[in-house]
Amino acid sequence: MRTWRLAAVAGALSLVAACTGGGDGDSGGRGGTVRILAGSELADMRPILDQAEKDIGVTVKVDYTGTLAGVQQVLDGSAGRGHDAIWFSSNRYLALHPAAQSRLGPSVKIMSSPVLLGLRASAAHRLGWDRTRPTWAAISAAAAAGKFTYGMTNPVSSNSGFSALVGVAAALSGTGSALDAPAVERVAPSLRGFFSAQRITSGSSGWLSDTYAADPGRADGLVNYESVLLTLNAAHRLPEPLTLVYPADGVVTADYPLTRLSSASQRASEALRSLTDYLRRPAVQRRVMTLTHRRPAVPEVRPGAEFGAQPPELPFPARPEAADALIDAYFNRLRRPARTVYVLDVSGSMRGARLAALKAALAALTGADTSLSGRFQRFHDREQVTLLPFSSTPRRPATYVLPATGSAATLARIRADTEKLTAGGSTAIYESLEQAYSAIGTSSATDRITSIVLMSDGESNQGDSFADFRSWYGRQPLALRRIPVFAILFGESATSEMNALAALTRGRTFDARLQSLSAVFGEIRGYQ
Amino acid sequence: MRRILSIGLAVVLLAGVVIALLRGHGSSHRTTTVHGVIGSEKEAFFADPAVRKAFARDGLTVEVDSAGSRQIATSVDLSRYDFAFPSSAPAADRIQQQRHVTARYAPFASPMAIATFQPIADLLAGAGVAKRQGPVWTFDVSRYLGLVARHTRWDRLPHNTAYPVRRDVLVSTTDPRSSNSAAMYLAIASYVANGDAVVRGAAEERRVLPTLTGLFVDQGYTDNTTEGPFADYLSLGMGKAPLVCVYEAQFVDAAVRNLLKAGMVLMYPTPTVQSRHTLIPFDDGGDRVGRLLTSDPELQRLAALHGFRTADPARFAAVTADHHVPVRTDLIDVVDTPSYDTLEHLLAGVAKAYG
Repeated sequence: MRTWRLAAVAGALSLVAACTGGGDGDSGGRGGTVRILAGSELADMRPILDQAEKDIGVTVKVDYTGTLAGVQQVLDGSAGRGHDAIWFSSNRYLALHPAAQSRLGPSVKIMSSPVLLGLRASAAHRLGWDRTRPTWAAISAAAAAGKFTYGMTNPVSSNSGFSALVGVAAALSGTGSALDAPAVERVAPSLRGFFSAQRITSGSSGWLSDTYAADPGRADGLVNYESVLLTLNAAHRLPEPLTLVYPADGVVTADYPLTRLSSASQRASEALRSLTDYLRRPAVQRRVMTLTHRRPAVPEVRPGAEFGAQPPELPFPARPEAADALIDAYFNRLRRPARTVYVLDVSGSMRGARLAALKAALAALTGADTSLSGRFQRFHDREQVTLLPFSSTPRRPATYVLPATGSAATLARIRADTEKLTAGGSTAIYESLEQAYSAIGTSSATDRITSIVLMSDGESNQGDSFADFRSWYGRQPLALRRIPVFAILFGESATSEMNALAALTRGRTFDARLQSLSAVFGEIRGYQ
Repeated sequence: MRRILSIGLAVVLLAGVVIALLRGHGSSHRTTTVHGVIGSEKEAFFADPAVRKAFARDGLTVEVDSAGSRQIATSVDLSRYDFAFPSSAPAADRIQQQRHVTARYAPFASPMAIATFQPIADLLAGAGVAKRQGPVWTFDVSRYLGLVARHTRWDRLPHNTAYPVRRDVLVSTTDPRSSNSAAMYLAIASYVANGDAVVRGAAEERRVLPTLTGLFVDQGYTDNTTEGPFADYLSLGMGKAPLVCVYEAQFVDAAVRNLLKAGMVLMYPTPTVQSRHTLIPFDDGGDRVGRLLTSDPELQRLAALHGFRTADPARFAAVTADHHVPVRTDLIDVVDTPSYDTLEHLLAGVAKAYG
C-alpha cells in the first residue's frame, strides 16, 4: 500500500528532473513502451501501431521472426529477454509444448484470417468451385488427379502451411475429433494425393505471395491466409484474380493473439493492456480490416463484403505427438521431395573458421542438431542433395538420395564427405552456378521441388561475370529458369550482385553476417 | 533563457505540490492503493470507470492483475498482493489453507451456462438434449454425455440441414489445465458421470476420468482464458463455436453492452454449478475491498450490471429484464463442486491425457 502523497512527491521530482533536462533515463512517456516479438507477416500492422503511439502514447517496438524460430525463443526463455509480449498468427502449436505454459501470460485476439485455397478464376470455374464450396476430400481428389496445382508455405517455418496441413488432415480423417497419431496414419494416402499438386514451397507467406505474383504461370493458385489472397487481388498484381475457395468442411483460422510474456514488468503489462484495448476499439478494428484484409475480432464491427461466410473451424490437435507425427509424415512421406544443389565456395578465403562454420552448418542438417528446429530442418527421407564445392573451377559434384526409410547411413555419408572439404584457390561463382543448373537438367526438373543454394564469402574473380551468367540464364528453358537461387551473404559477399542474382532467379538472399551460417542454412530449409 | 524558464517552471510545480501536500494533510481525502490478483473474467468489472469511482469514494484505488483461478491457487506469488479473488470456492479454500487466512467474502456468483445459436438449440432439442421451458433453455448433461460417448458428429444428427458439420458434438471450453471455467464444466460432467453424485475418493475419480478426458482432449486445442472462446462466439459465430461453455455473467454482460446478435441463445445445463467468486484478504486493504464489494449498494448494483448474481436477487432480475435476457431467475438444479483435492486429481488426470 502507498498513499497518493508519496506518488505525488515522486511525480513532482520527476517533473523537476524533466524540466531541468536531467531526465535522460527511461522516461518512456505516460503510455509506456511495449516490446513485441512478432511473426514477420505482422509487418503490415506498422501503420496501426504508429497511430497507436500518436493516439495513446504507447511506443511499440517490434522484432520480426519466423514461426519456428519464435516458438524456439519462447520455449528456451530467450524471447523474454528484450520482449514483453509475443504476437504470432496463432499460439496453438506453441501451446502444445508443456514448457510454454509457464512462459505465457494472458492473450487477447486482435483479428482473424482463415487459411484457404485461392485459385485463378478460370481454374476455379473449371472445377465448379466458384459456385459450390468443395469439401477437402474433393479438393484432394482433384489435386491427386492433376486438375490443379498450388503453392503453399513450409509447415514448420510458417503458420499458414501448418494450418493447411492440419486442416486437410483433420477434414480427411472424418472422425470429427482432434487428430491423434493413428489418425495421421489413416489419412496419409489421401494427403499424399493432395500434396502431389504442390509446385511452390516457401519459408514465409509473404515470399510465397510475392513469388507467385511475379510468375503466376507456375501454379494455379495458393494455399494461404484469406488476407494474403485478398491483398493480392486488391493490389491487382495478377493477370487473373484469385477466386477464394472456402472448403465446406472447415478451415483452420489464424487468430493473432497478442500475448503477454509472464516475465513482463508491471509497467510493460500496463502499456500492453492499453495497447490491446486500443487495438480492439471498433474504429481501429475497422482500419485493421481495411488495411490488412483480416477479419475483425470484436462483435461491434461487421466483416466487410469481401469476406465469405465464416466456415466451420476444424479441430487442432491437442497432443504434441499428433502434431509432430503430422509434420514428420509431411516431410518424410507426403510432400513432393526436395532436390537441392548446394553450390559451396571453398576458395582460399574460406580457410579456417569460415570453412569450419560451413561444415558445422551442413552437419546440423544431417541430424547433428537435435533441437526442435534441428529435428524438423534436417535432410528428409526421399530428398536429393547435391554438394557442388568450387574454387577456381567447380569441383566434382556429389549427389545423395535419401532412401524412403533408414536414411541414417546416407546422412552419415554426407557428413563424412563434408568433413573432407578443403579450402584453396580463387572464386568462380558463375561458372559453378551454371554447372549446378546443368546438373539438374530439364528432364526431371518438375518431379521434385528444386532449388539452388549459393554460399560464397567473396566476389567472383574467375570465369564468367554476373553479366555473362545473366545472358546464359536467359537462354535456358523455362523449367530451368524457374529454379530459384537462394544466395547467402557471408564474409565479403558482393551484396548488390547477390541481390540481383536472387531477383533474376526469383530466389532470395539470406544474411549470414549477422547470424550464424547454421541458422541461415536452417532458415533456407523452409524454402526447399 | 529556456533553461531558466524550465527551472522556474519546476519551482512553481514543486511549490504547488508542497501546498497540495500541506492542505491534504489531516483531511480525510486520502487514497489508498490496493493490489489484487483476480480471475480474468472479472477484469472488465474492475476496469469499469464506474467501479473505480465507487471505490474512490471510499478512498480506494484498486489495481488488479488477472490470472487463471487455478494459477492463483498454485503458482502466483501472492505475497505481492493485498487480496486474491479467484472465481471458484475450491480455489479460495486452497488459498485460505495455504495462507492461513480465515476471512473470506463471496460478493457475487454466476452459474455455468452454455452460449449457443437458435439453429443449434433447435437441433439439440430434436436430439433430446435441449429443452425449452417458457423462454428459458436447458441442456441435459446426461443425454449430452451419451452423444459424446458415441462420438456423434453434427452431420449425423437426424434432420440436420442447419449445421451439417463433420465435427463431433462437443461443448467448447477453455484449457482445463489453466482455466477455471473448464474446471467448473468438469465439475458438472463429473457429477453426472458419477451417477448424479459429487465425486469423492480415488475409486470414483478413476471411474469418471475416461468420460471426462474425451470431453476436453477430443476438442483439440483450447484457449487458456474464458474470454477467448466467448469472443469467438460473439464475433465469429456458429462456424467456429456452436456451443460454448461460459459463465452466465459473460452472456448477460454482453447483452447489457448490446453485443448480442439475433439468434444468440443462453442454455442452462442440468445440473449446473455455481462459480462463487470468492475474495480472500491478506491485509486491511484487501479486507476493505472485500467488505465494500459485499456491502456497498453501488458496487453491488454495478456487479449485477456486469451480469453477476449478488446478494439481492432483485438487482440481477432487474438487469436481465431491462435487457431482455431470458435467464433462469430461480436456479434449482445446482450441485456442489467436488473438493479442491478431488478437482485437482481429476484435472491432473485430464492433463495427463494431453501427453
